[in-house]
Amino acid sequence: MAEFDAGGIRVYALSYDEADALADFRNAHGITYTLLSDPDSEVIRAYGILNTLIDPEDHPWFGIPYPGTYVIDSNGTITHKFFDSNLAVRAGPEQLLRALRGEPAAATGTAVEVAEPDEVTVHVFLDGESLTPTVQRDLIVRFQVPNGRHVYAEPAPEGSVAIDVKLEPNERIVQRPLIRPSSELHMLAGTDESFPVHHGEFEVRLPLTVNGGVLDEGSHASLTLNGTIRWQACDNEVCDIPVSRSFELTVPVTKSPPVALRGEAGQALEPNARAHFQRMMDRRKSRV
Amino acid sequence: MAIEIETRAEQVETGWRDKDGFVGPYRPGNGPRTDPRGEFPTGPEIGSRLPDIRCLDADGQAFDLHQDRGDSAAIVIFYRSAVW
Repeated sequence: MAEFDAGGIRVYALSYDEADALADFRNAHGITYTLLSDPDSEVIRAYGILNTLIDPEDHPWFGIPYPGTYVIDSNGTITHKFFDSNLAVRAGPEQLLRALRGEPAAATGTAVEVAEPDEVTVHVFLDGESLTPTVQRDLIVRFQVPNGRHVYAEPAPEGSVAIDVKLEPNERIVQRPLIRPSSELHMLAGTDESFPVHHGEFEVRLPLTVNGGVLDEGSHASLTLNGTIRWQACDNEVCDIPVSRSFELTVPVTKSPPVALRGEAGQALEPNARAHFQRMMDRRKSRV
Repeated sequence: MAIEIETRAEQVETGWRDKDGFVGPYRPGNGPRTDPRGEFPTGPEIGSRLPDIRCLDADGQAFDLHQDRGDSAAIVIFYRSAVW
């Protein structure tokens, strides 16, 4: 939160919980951002994000949204949205800070650098200090392409290779599709052919989290990401052969933040937790 | 938009493992784990003004998000619950 506060960024979190349940949650976990109560899911419905897959009779789950996050600028305009189909996956703080600032919030000290004869330089790092179950963070691959040169973007012409980043399968890692920067059209001199390329310095981002399997085993406090980066660089006349380089990045894995009144693993229930849950069950039964 | 329910799951010793490897007591496609597969609504579009949010805060006081934030940029999170 300190970084959001320092940036003058307000943080709000809305749920279908009753206000006093939120007050208990806030006090139990020392939460300093603003919790909002929408017990009849009125705001959630108005936004069109009520989870309508849940049967209204299914208590107390009915009334929750498809969870997600909006980033708004100082005018109140939505600049970014983060929604994931899996209830367990949520946007990480670095992703949100990056959306607001346009640059990575943090980088693990173990960035991998790949410099090639074609003078394209690639750095790989995690935007964040660790991976945490359920919290998404981006693996960032930063390309620096020298002046006068470009690399192919997607879709590359037939027989050519667009930039790509792939992780080796790992059952503990939850990954989402690669986020590529916007490309520019490059006209091939003396022809009317054009194709999409990237110039200069740019980043591709691979959103990642872990599914908890790492910490379950106790002895693994880190995770090694193995992957491959591909690109093909050209100037206005000739193209180099495609380059494929592997990387290995070891990042710490930390435990999940508190997500409910049950609090930290092994700790006693927050005193009113059962009462809040029971009321939620009763409330839904009486309102349908 | 016809929204499908994600039901891919595998039973393991400690519960049900979903398609992403998360393990929980509910079988994916049921109860709190009723998640969509494929497209699902994500509300107002990028580029539009965030619709008004008027509700209660944790102290039970009337709250207006745009009024509260003034001229500040903001993060607005919709999540499942602080109770479960």
